[in-house]
Amino acid sequence: MRVSFPTMGDYWVFTKAIFDKLASELVLPPPVSQRTLTLGVKYSPEGACLPFKITLGSMIEALELGADTIIMPGNYGPCRFGYYHRLQEEILRDLGYKFQMISESMGIRRMVASIFKGSRLSEFLPGLIFSLAKLKLLDELPHTLYRIRAIEQEVGSATRIYKDTLKPLDKAKSYRELRQVKKEYLKKLGSIPTRSSDGVVKVGITGEIYVVLEPFANMEIEIELGKLGVEVRRPISLWEFISNFNPLVTAFGLGERRRCYRAARPYLSCHIGGDGWQSVGEKVLHAKDWHGMVHLEPFGCLPETVARNIMSKTKEELPVLNLIYDEHTGKAGVISRLEAFVDMIRRQKRKPAEGKRSNLTGGRAHGSLSGH
Amino acid sequence: MIKVGIPRALLYYQYYPMWRTFFEELGAEAIVSPVTSRVMLQEGGARVVADTCLPVKIFIGHVLSLIGSCDFIFIPTIRSIRKNTYNCSKFLGLSAMTRAAVPEAPPILDIMVDVNKCRLRLYQAIYRLGKNFTPDPHKIRQASLDAWRTQLKYRYMMSNHRLTQPQAIAKVLGTSPPESQVESPETKTTIAVIGHPYLLHDDFISHRIIPRLKQANVKVLTPEMLADTTLESAVMKVMGRIQWTCESEVVGAGEHYLRSDVDGVINVMAFGCGPDSLMMDVIRRQATRLRSTPFMNLTIDEHTSEVGIITRLEAFLDMIHRKQRARVAVCG
Repeated sequence: MRVSFPTMGDYWVFTKAIFDKLASELVLPPPVSQRTLTLGVKYSPEGACLPFKITLGSMIEALELGADTIIMPGNYGPCRFGYYHRLQEEILRDLGYKFQMISESMGIRRMVASIFKGSRLSEFLPGLIFSLAKLKLLDELPHTLYRIRAIEQEVGSATRIYKDTLKPLDKAKSYRELRQVKKEYLKKLGSIPTRSSDGVVKVGITGEIYVVLEPFANMEIEIELGKLGVEVRRPISLWEFISNFNPLVTAFGLGERRRCYRAARPYLSCHIGGDGWQSVGEKVLHAKDWHGMVHLEPFGCLPETVARNIMSKTKEELPVLNLIYDEHTGKAGVISRLEAFVDMIRRQKRKPAEGKRSNLTGGRAHGSLSGH
Repeated sequence: MIKVGIPRALLYYQYYPMWRTFFEELGAEAIVSPVTSRVMLQEGGARVVADTCLPVKIFIGHVLSLIGSCDFIFIPTIRSIRKNTYNCSKFLGLSAMTRAAVPEAPPILDIMVDVNKCRLRLYQAIYRLGKNFTPDPHKIRQASLDAWRTQLKYRYMMSNHRLTQPQAIAKVLGTSPPESQVESPETKTTIAVIGHPYLLHDDFISHRIIPRLKQANVKVLTPEMLADTTLESAVMKVMGRIQWTCESEVVGAGEHYLRSDVDGVINVMAFGCGPDSLMMDVIRRQATRLRSTPFMNLTIDEHTSEVGIITRLEAFLDMIHRKQRARVAVCG
């Protein structure tokens, strides 16, 4: 059995770690590229959302590499995500591919059984825990990166170190090696020449999980924000999502997600599917400690559209930039909107200190911009 | 007397007789907003973000038109009426969205219906809703049972007498059906129009597709003319599981009518509708596979030019008529 997963961001490291101890062979689809998107767009219904198109393209690329089984998660709920695998399976079969789709539509028990077929539990269970440790590390590593990226002197050096770390992380076979990888990564990042962190603003990224976590889909928004001297905060990650299933975390209302739900309650009191509830909560929760928030969503996303309608009217104030993605690839448009947004935040931040002076100069303060 | 405003949009078509019975039994008066107009779309559209779907914009417009004429506005949150099957996010967030978009609206009566939670929760929710009118739990229980009976009668009437929702509502309330809904006696062509009732029966949104077809001497069938069990089993046959509550109106009705002896199937969907964008493709693929019945998809948005719709309807009808003539020629 040659199994494949549609890709998402750097999580191929995690997927690979899981399949290390399984009897079936993993076919890793190439990272998402323009070709993936083009393939997906070609065969998807036009109104489908961006993650549908990218995952479909990713599946086609995996099938081209010789995969005969595709695992696609799904769920019950209002979000279109739960419907993906049904339609994707139909589309791929109509295209003439022969494969088996493993998803929850075959029943959870049969799904688990078909993934683990031929592998021993005693081998697999420690492997799973080890891969979760890798996942946790994948969640931890970027946070330092975001801090350094905002103040690095040579643009791109921190990103390079992060990308170089993924390879040893993937190769690591023991917990000791994992610790080693982390230590080395932090040491390397610490040695990067940096500027002072005076003008750094903190901007949170939230929204639909796939667009937030897949750099191709969001046009590398984290890197672009870093270039503008922004310290990115990104509470959403796969680890955060999985830890939501841990009863120990959720029982006491701990964890980012639960705290967001609690914060959003005055405005939205129930789950609306996907990450909509969390997006509203994220704004309310971090209105004090972030300077701004970038909200990402694929065009036509059901929960996020509802969330956006509610988010714009909360009592807690936080500048929010909504970016809506579809298959069009105008990165320049995204960058100039980010620049304008960050400029606005900086100006707002300076305002209290300059209050008196701007009163004296009146409306002329920005006269040079409008050509007076 | 307490007046409860009910917007004539979205779930109104499926549940209005039930809601009306409930509120009237409790001594309140149900006030329905007027028929959709262009002003409603403009005002409603200005309150929400641009890419919200058309039916929701119109819903907000209806809420705005009710301000001043009622004490409460009734916006239920119908999460789930079948196990593990949910409604679209827009329905789940509807009352919260209205609260955010129309802060000046009268107090919103909200009831959460979710059959995935235990029965007690549902009863509690009904009681909490009824408490706004009377403290007497027996009266509330009686009102909800009567409302449920009305709903069953309403549903039965539509599937057994082949009525559309506006026709059935008119019959339940004892008023005469709107002029354009009266059947013409002699029809040779039958066309099934599938889609959500809030699209098909709102003459402003759908550009009067159904009356237009009837004018052209076509017999029109709609999803609500089928029994719920028929629709659900049709969905199960195609997809193996029902994901959305509204899925039976599109996939279920589509699958059923494609396999029946209608002359054509027209699917109406709103631009930007999430569930429809995928469900339409399922039905389109099914139509291609079966090759039995002509199928057309009409995507509707807030642009108000009717000509495009008329042209496509004419072309579709012409094609069906030509096909019928060809069949007659072969047989003759």
